[in-house]
Amino acid sequence: MRVPLRLGPLGGEKVSVRRSGVNWLCEDGRACRAGEVIAYCNLAVQGDVRGAFAKESVLQVALASPVAGRLRKRSDISGGGFLDVIGAADWRDDETIGEIEADSGADDAGGDMPLLMLAGQRMSWAVDVDTGLLPGWHLATRAWWDHGGGGRRTLLNLGVCDAVGAIRGDRSGFIELFESADFPAHVTDVTDHPLAPCAAVLLDGHSRSRTALEALTLDLQRALADSPETPTAADWVFAGALLAQLAESPLNRTFDVLTRNGLERSEPPRAILLSSCAEPRSIRRHKKLGYRLHIMRHDLDATGPAIRAWLASAFDAVPRSLDDVASDYRRLIDTVGAQFRARFLILNRMSTSGREDIASYVAFDEPMGAILANIAAKETNLMLHDLAREKNVAIVDVDAMAAEIGGAAHLPDGIHQSGELQDLVRGQILDLLAGVGPAGDQRLVG
Amino acid sequence: MLLGLYLPKLLPDMTVAVVEAIYPAVGDTLPAGDKILDLSVDLGSGFRQDCPPISHYRLVAREAVRLRSIHISPGEACAPGVLMAVFGDDADPDEIARPLRFATAGIVSHPGMWSARVRA
Repeated sequence: MRVPLRLGPLGGEKVSVRRSGVNWLCEDGRACRAGEVIAYCNLAVQGDVRGAFAKESVLQVALASPVAGRLRKRSDISGGGFLDVIGAADWRDDETIGEIEADSGADDAGGDMPLLMLAGQRMSWAVDVDTGLLPGWHLATRAWWDHGGGGRRTLLNLGVCDAVGAIRGDRSGFIELFESADFPAHVTDVTDHPLAPCAAVLLDGHSRSRTALEALTLDLQRALADSPETPTAADWVFAGALLAQLAESPLNRTFDVLTRNGLERSEPPRAILLSSCAEPRSIRRHKKLGYRLHIMRHDLDATGPAIRAWLASAFDAVPRSLDDVASDYRRLIDTVGAQFRARFLILNRMSTSGREDIASYVAFDEPMGAILANIAAKETNLMLHDLAREKNVAIVDVDAMAAEIGGAAHLPDGIHQSGELQDLVRGQILDLLAGVGPAGDQRLVG
Repeated sequence: MLLGLYLPKLLPDMTVAVVEAIYPAVGDTLPAGDKILDLSVDLGSGFRQDCPPISHYRLVAREAVRLRSIHISPGEACAPGVLMAVFGDDADPDEIARPLRFATAGIVSHPGMWSARVRA
């Protein structure tokens, strides 16, 4: 049985959509799974759109096969070159991009292709990349889809690499999350460069006033202008990205959502994903303005001498105990969690290593959590268990999953996961997200 | 009897380790359990990426020894198998009899590390 790969409607009656030529993600003749992403197009919206996606210069749709079977591409659906980048054609409901030689017994023949919608707010217009899914450096990227049962779940990822890998997936396009979910969802992923999203930074950003933002912007401008170090290009890029992150708390944003029927606004997140390994034990606090920054070492390495001089002179390095981390988590949950009726999902840390062979702890000064990585991780994990008992928090148990399949092979540095471990982490996040319920459900889950 | 401290392969995919700190001086006697040196391993060596996979380790003596010579310095990148230090008395024959017995512990980065000092 041959099943046409039909685009189906997009944008409803008021929104017209232009699309690029089809960019294929697999070869002709591939044996596809039902729901497998096989191609994508860049999109532009026109018509009665009232400035929709004004801040998001990347809008894409990834196209999935509605049934299992062998892919047969339509030969004239891709123009190649820039025709597969720019708006080359109108989106037509009845357009087909090929067909599937369906496996016998396919019972969903004739359905429109499931759509994975993608959008991204680039850090700057100058960091555009023309090919791939959500390419380049973004302040925030999003994915949403409407297939599956029940209402749309909403997830905001504010984690670092241990969360981003599971959420964005191997092609950075949320494909694995989309293919694994059996419910509609809207997922936002926020960059951790150069400002890393620890609880203290998120709290400051959530409560920052316009006046406070103007003050810190002016302070940074003056610091660069008056710096004893001549600012380099790396300083300016860092300063611009930092200001972009500080200017808009990811917790306070809603977005445009293009659906088959029209345009909507996204709902606030009902689940917020955090990484406990993003919580530093020393944080920079501005001496005059009081706001806090957490910048990871590799981002600090990437900046220039003027920013390093500003960070060294304008900020104090404030020690942060595990109790301080827990206190920041509690404040974040009590304010943000209550405002959105959101549940916090926090990834714990790998706390064992088969390669460690400590026979005596004499060599390690107290408190050993300040020097031994596995003890620090265990203390953090215990803190999370305490937090989960008293607040609306669920632990994503990276520690147990990595130990089960082997940390040396699947989590060699304690942060960056193998594909197999990412699959497990993603599965647990989806299970938790299913339990949180859809965006319109006002019950407090947990 | 001379004992050699050779850089172990701390992770299956490591190509080099950077010496972050050396605790004893030549001539010091270390009791069993004393710290010898700290190392960092960047599994992304050779590949520039925005979040390098770096982890840190401490090597600890598992037997009482005297440091006779040290062959590395802070900031140096060493390949697995490199002789980093020799333990024993000056009067011992120059031939290394066996590897030093040591323990390995994963640690968090600290201000005393070479990489932290060069960034300060």
